[in-house]
This record gives sequence, structure tokens and C-alpha cells, in this order.
Amino acid sequence: MFVKRYLIPRLLQYFLVIFLGITIVFFIPRFAPTNPVQRTISEIRSRGTYLNPADVEQMVADLTRLYGLEGSWGEQYIEFWRKLFKGDFGISFFQFPTPVIELIKTALPWTVGLLFTTTVLSWVIGNIIGGIAGYRNNRLWSRILDGVVMFIRPLPYYIFALGLLILLAYVFRLFPISGGASIGRLPSFTLSYILDVLKHAFLPALSLVVLGAASWFQASKLIVQNVNAEDFVQYAQLGGIKERKIMFKYVIRNAMLPQITNLALSLGQILSGALITEIVFSYPGLGNLLFSAINTGDYNLIMGITALSIVAITTLVLMIDLLYPLFDPRIKYK
Amino acid sequence: MKKLVRAFALVTGLVLFAFMAFGQSIDQLPREDTLIAGILTGRVGTPGNFNAWVGWKWNDRGMQNLANEPLWSVDFATGEIVNCLAAGDPVYNDDFTHVSIPLRKGVKWADGTPFTADDVVFTVETLIAEPGFNDHSSFATEVERVYKSGDYQVEFDLKQPNSRFHTKFLDRWGCTWIMPKHIFEKVEDKLTFEFNPFIGCGPYKLHSYDPNGYWTIWEKREDWQNTPTGMNFGEPVPKYVILQTYSDEGSKIVAQLTHQLDVVDLSAEGFVATLAQGRTIRAYQPGFPWVVNNDPCITGIVFNTAIEPYNNPEVRWALLLAIDIVEYLGQAVDGQATLSPVHIPALGAYPEYYIEPMQEWLKEFKLDLGNGEVFYPYDPDVALRIAEYAKNRGYYVTDDPEELKKMFGIGWYKYAPDVAAKLLEKNGFSRDKNGKWLLPDGTPWKLELLEKTDTSHHSFKNGNAAVQQWKKFGIDAEYIATDAHATLQGNGEFQVTSSWPAAEPWGAGVDLYRVLDQFNSEYMKPLGVLNQAHNSRWSSPEMDDIIRRLKATDPTDVEATVAIGTEALKLLLKEMPSIPTYGYAGFITWDEYYWTNWPGSENPYAGPYAHWGTFKHMLPFLQKTGNK
Repeated sequence: MFVKRYLIPRLLQYFLVIFLGITIVFFIPRFAPTNPVQRTISEIRSRGTYLNPADVEQMVADLTRLYGLEGSWGEQYIEFWRKLFKGDFGISFFQFPTPVIELIKTALPWTVGLLFTTTVLSWVIGNIIGGIAGYRNNRLWSRILDGVVMFIRPLPYYIFALGLLILLAYVFRLFPISGGASIGRLPSFTLSYILDVLKHAFLPALSLVVLGAASWFQASKLIVQNVNAEDFVQYAQLGGIKERKIMFKYVIRNAMLPQITNLALSLGQILSGALITEIVFSYPGLGNLLFSAINTGDYNLIMGITALSIVAITTLVLMIDLLYPLFDPRIKYK
Repeated sequence: MKKLVRAFALVTGLVLFAFMAFGQSIDQLPREDTLIAGILTGRVGTPGNFNAWVGWKWNDRGMQNLANEPLWSVDFATGEIVNCLAAGDPVYNDDFTHVSIPLRKGVKWADGTPFTADDVVFTVETLIAEPGFNDHSSFATEVERVYKSGDYQVEFDLKQPNSRFHTKFLDRWGCTWIMPKHIFEKVEDKLTFEFNPFIGCGPYKLHSYDPNGYWTIWEKREDWQNTPTGMNFGEPVPKYVILQTYSDEGSKIVAQLTHQLDVVDLSAEGFVATLAQGRTIRAYQPGFPWVVNNDPCITGIVFNTAIEPYNNPEVRWALLLAIDIVEYLGQAVDGQATLSPVHIPALGAYPEYYIEPMQEWLKEFKLDLGNGEVFYPYDPDVALRIAEYAKNRGYYVTDDPEELKKMFGIGWYKYAPDVAAKLLEKNGFSRDKNGKWLLPDGTPWKLELLEKTDTSHHSFKNGNAAVQQWKKFGIDAEYIATDAHATLQGNGEFQVTSSWPAAEPWGAGVDLYRVLDQFNSEYMKPLGVLNQAHNSRWSSPEMDDIIRRLKATDPTDVEATVAIGTEALKLLLKEMPSIPTYGYAGFITWDEYYWTNWPGSENPYAGPYAHWGTFKHMLPFLQKTGNK
């Protein structure tokens, strides 16, 4: 019954969303007024290399062929799906002839490493502290914490991150200014390399965790305050159940339900990267890659990154849908 | 709970200690022997691919500026063309259908293989054979045959006369590089070949690179004597050179202030902030205007002459005269640039051969305002006006008029909004009751200016300044900043844009062929079709004739070349398809904490930039400070 009435329609919906999402991503860059061939040639010419205009016209034809941009959009679309089923996103135009999958493979571990950790950390910290502060909202520390968070939360991320960089990399010089690892150090599974990576990730992570946790804190505190006012909590209190149990098992657990959905969405979005973080800290990742791909009209790279992101978000949403009864016993798929 | 807090504090302390113990910003390299420079073109998108003959390859990550050698190199600071892999000038036959190039003996590739004429012949034949190479059509359409007449002599038979054929190998900021035959001949698919590790004839070899594209390290070759740079200038001093990029201006500044970046290009604002904060940091000029003001590029405004009303030279002139250039220069670069009244920058040989000799003609040049009224737009004293602006801003500037002309330019044009109004009215324009300009058909004149989004680029600075000036004049002007500018410009989908007003000259010598050929009507395309010629889409039979005559002139014949070049500049000035404003101002800063004797304006022994090919020519002259 569950399979027929819920799972199969839900899976069909899942595949339809992915198909439509990727189709939209295929066409949108082609409507943009950026021609990837012209953009590449413009870059070469703007840097001083002299190209005779007649030669450039021939070059346009050569690059159009090499980039696989010959033929109608329909033909390109069919070819795109044919390749995609083989796991091939094609080559990057601007970073020709590097395959898109290679670029994604290089950037993905940095993005996932940083953003998965910080997203989960900020979710856990923000929700736990927010939950306790919401339950104990009459205490002085709760009000002070609320004031601090109200000050931090509206800070523009760029300003906050740059402030951290200046404070901890320039004034106190505790952390490196940029990069994913030290200059000259190549990736290896050694303790010194891992510590080096952690050291470089510290400032970007701190900036994301502080602002992220502040955001979760406020949401969690508000939900907990609402749940706290519900009848079942009053009954529990009147029934003499220990306060600690009421706080964690009755209030915070119930308050977590919408936050779990939001966590799943946040995790799905990490594959789009964290552009400003990557820019401020010159941190490698998918955000910068996607940004430069949009700027240069690199259709294949745009499609590669966004297709992954679409698949990740829809998959996580599907998983949450299927796992929700575990968190909320009131929900059952019949 | 207390235990948890203690454990957390312990772990945090240990991690921080480990960070301090293990985290070095430069791994294993001695800082006192290492020079760190910024990459102008940003993060390298293809870190493991050094095949510069295919697509865009971030050549300033060290390939063109450290590890590679061209046949010839332009040094705009000295005004010289340096023989690199070539042993001397090219020798053409009388009708420019054959050219013979002597090559330097004793040069070796970084792997020890001798460089010979076989490498040059192989390169050209390979480029002709494979349509995917950037320079394929350039050689395929021009070269009939390439062959060697000796181990160090290459001969080219050309399909048609071309007195500038050799400039394909002249490194200005890139050129056709020579492939090491012994490596490429073994490769089946030369287009996808990554050429990693990179092997060049320059004084540095590849040490390592960041798989994420943020840095590349180059190490001085032990046999640096076998490179053209070593032979011409001596041993480069830094043992290692790191080319590094930062995604954000703020982190670049912090890096330089903490002595982690020796030379870098900044925005105008970042440049001023860095100079103000860093005690060991200097700019190209020791005092105001600080910037590199001898870059061989001219910036400005371009009109789309294929559409109304910008197809009318009098309208273009009116828009020029509506600009108060002192205010404009202040808005764009705080007065820190050198103006040029013609379509080449006021640097190197150009003032001496072109701009100074044109002074009388410029002063006599007049515009017909109708009804017998004329106007002489040239202002030879603009430098004095800019000096006043600078003084009002609190900067120290000399009172010597000659020095001021070197700083701010020999001349530009008067601010004459009343004359601009007369020119427009002569052409049917009018104003509404609010003083806003109307087109000849009575509709509001809405001027849109297309510019780049990069706020540190001179396209953005020129564009914004021009829009401010024209708004002040009463035109409903606005700018549109877009990353699609290249395509929109190419298709002619713009009214006015702030791209290069003319192609940059080579930076040395007097030849303007490169500047003028972009205006050749042969290359012009109708609106909507991608145009590879000048964005203005302006051409004329007179200019075609000039280009034809220049192409048939020996570029080493200075007198004849200058005469034709001057004729072209006068024509461009009369037609004004684009407004030349100021020479490219380079906002570079050098940190003197580890290295000194940078090629500043007081001793410009080489080009000042780290991203040009001449960077390797600077390195033998740098001195260590002894700081560790």
C-alpha cells in the first residue's frame, strides 16, 4: 500500500523535478547574452595578444566546433542527455579542454568538507543553545545571549568575514590569510597536512558557524517558546515530570521537527558552494567555480554544478519525506 | 557539564597549539630567497594544463613571465625590443613575401635539450595542421612554407606581402610561443595534451602548483646561463618565485601588509589604502600620482557609429566637449593618470614621434559650429588644471610645467558645454523645459553606456565618469555594467561603451599598424553579426588607404612609418569614433621588506609589472634586503 500509494508517485515526482530542473538549467544560460566563444577570445585579446580580426573569425568557427556548440539547441539538448547518462558533463569551455567532472571533483571535497561541517555544527549549536534559551527565556543569560545574537545576526556576511580576517590574520596573525592549505604543500594523508588544512579552514568555518548558528538560534528559540506554551507541556509540568525531561523530550524534540526539514534543505544547498566565503578567504570550492562559469558563459560547467545541486536537494528532500515518521510518530504513510 | 566544558577547552587548546606548530604559510621555501607576486588574471582554472597554444591558459601564472621566452620581447619601460630566442631583427625581402629570422645559439630548454630552428619550424607546421590551436588560422592563412636554412636560421615564405609577420612572435603581453619539438612530436592529440610539467626556455622551471589554482611555484634553473634572459641580463636573484592569486582585494592588502606578497596589482582604492598603511610598501612613482603611468594602453569611451545619433561625428565631438576632463579624471582615478589627446598613449616613443610634433596641428584644429563660427577645442595646458585639482586634494605636485606634462599629459580638450550645445543644436537636437536634451525627432535622449562589472577596471572607471559628465550636461545617461559586455560589444548591441578606444600599440617602436588595422573596413560586420574589428564599427576609405600603405611600409623605416601613422591619428581625431582619455594607470605596489631595487619611475630599467613577459628581465636586478 505504501509503495503503490505513496512511494511510486513520490519517486516519479522526484525524477520529474530533476528532469525539469536540469532542462531549465540547460536552456537558461543559452538565453543569456554571453557567448562562451566570444568570451574566451575576448579574454585572450584583452590581455594584449594581437589577433588579426580575420583570423579571429576563423578561430570562432574552430572553437564553436571544439566546444560542441554547432547545431541547433534541440540537437545540443539531445546530445547533452546522451552524455549525461554516461556521467559525462562535457568539457569546460573557458577551461578548455578540462572535463567539467574533473573541475567538480577538484572543488567538491573542499566545499563539502567546509560546508557540511559548518552547516551541521551551526545547526547543532544554534538549535541546542536556542532551544535551552527559548525554554529558559526568563533567565538573565538567555536575554543577554539573545541580545548578542540580535547584534551578530544582521551583520552582512562579507563585513563579518573580513573583520575576522583582519582581526585574526592581520592584527593577531594567528591564522593564514587565504587558501585551503599552505603554499607549496601538496595534498597528502599526513598529520601535518590535515592540521594545515584545518588551520586554513578555521577562519572560513568560524565565520559560517557564528552567523549560521545565530540564525538557527533565533529560529529555534522562537519555536521553543511557542511549543512551551502548548497544553501538553503544561500538563507535563503539572504532572510532576522532571523539568530537564520536559525541556529535551517534550519541548525541544517537538521544536526540532521543522528545523530538520530546514537542515536537509541547507545540506542540499551546499553543493552550490559558499561564494562570498570562498572569495574573502580565497578558499577553493564550487562557489567560485560556478560564479566564473556564469560570468564566462561556460554552459557545461554551469550545468554540471547545478545538476549536482538539483539532484542533491531533491534527494535530501525525498529522504526527509521518507524518514519523517522516525522523527514524528504522528506521521504515517498509509 | 563541567567535564564537558573542560574537555572542549582542552581539545580547542590542543588544536590551536597544533595550528601554531604546523601551519606555515609557505611550506619549506626560504622566504628570503622567494619572491611572491600576484596573478593579474586571477585563479587559474586549468592548474594542471600548461598547453598555452589552446584556449585561455592564464599565462601570467609564470609561463610567459618566468619560464618561457619569445623570439622578441617588448619592454615598454625602456622602449626597446629585446632579442630573446631571436638573435637579431627579422630580414624581409623587398616585397615582404619572405622573411628570414636568425635564432640565438646556446639556448637550452629546461630539460637540457638544445633549442634550434627545428623547434620553430615544428611549431608553425603543427599550428597550421591543427585547427583547434589559437594561432591556427593566423599561420594557415599567411604561411606558404616554413623551413630552416641552418640550425639557427628560419625562413618563411608568405602567401601575401606582410611587413609585420614577425610580430606574431613579438611578446607584448603574449604572442605565439615556440613548442619544444622533442616533447610535442611524441604526442598524438596535441590539443588535449596538458604539457605538464611545463618545459620552456626561460630562466625558471616549474616547481609545483596548487591543484586548486591559487598558486604556482617556479624555481630558478641551475643552467640559467643557457636562457636568453640569463644571456641578456644575468642571473635572476630570487631562487623561487611564487605566483599567487587572492579572490578578494581585502586579503591581498592584508597579505602585502604582512609581507606575504611582494608585488601586486590593486584597485585604486586598495592602492591608496596599502600605501597609507604599509611602512615598507612603495609605488611606481615615489610621490603623487604614484601609479604606473607609462603603460602602453589607452583607455576611454567608444561610440557605436553604426547607430544614430552616434553615427554623426559632430554628435561625438559634442559629447567630448561636454566632458570636463579634470573632473572626469578626478572621478575616475583621483587625478592619477596621464591624458592623451590622440588614440595612442602618451608614453615611450609616442610623445616624441607623434604627440609633440602634432601640437601645432592640434592647436589649429577647429570645429565648424555653423553660421561661420568655429571653435578650437585643443587645450595644451590641461596638465596645469589637473595639478590644481591635485593641490586642492592636498597632494604635493611640482610647479614645473614640463614635469606636469610628463605626469598628466601634453594636452587634451577644453571643457566647452556651450560649444557642445551648439554642435547638437546644429544637428537638430533640442532641450525640453527642464533643460534635458531631446533627440532630433523630439524624443528624450536616453544614453546607455555599457561597461564591465569589475569596479577596479578602467572600463568601469571611464564609464562611470563619462555618465556623470553627460548627466551634468543634461543628457539622461546611465551605465549598464554587465559580464556579457564582450558579446554585446561584438554584436553591436550598445550605444556607447567604455572599452579600448583603439587597439593598444606594441609599446615600443613607432609602428601603429596594430592600432589602425582594427578600423579596416574589410573586417567590419553588420549590426547583430559578431564583429571582431573595433567595437565602434567605424571605418572609412581614407583609413583603408592608410592601412594599405602602412602595411606596405617597412616598419623599421621610422620616417615613413611615423608620417603615415600621424595621418591616421589626425583622421581618427577628426572623426572621433572613440574618445581617448587617459593611459592605463597601473596600481601596483611593491613591498621592500624582502626585496628592493624595484624598477620605479626614478630607475625604470624594466617593465614594472609582474604579469608581463619582462618580469623575468627585472629579476636579475632585484636586491635582497637581508630580512628573514
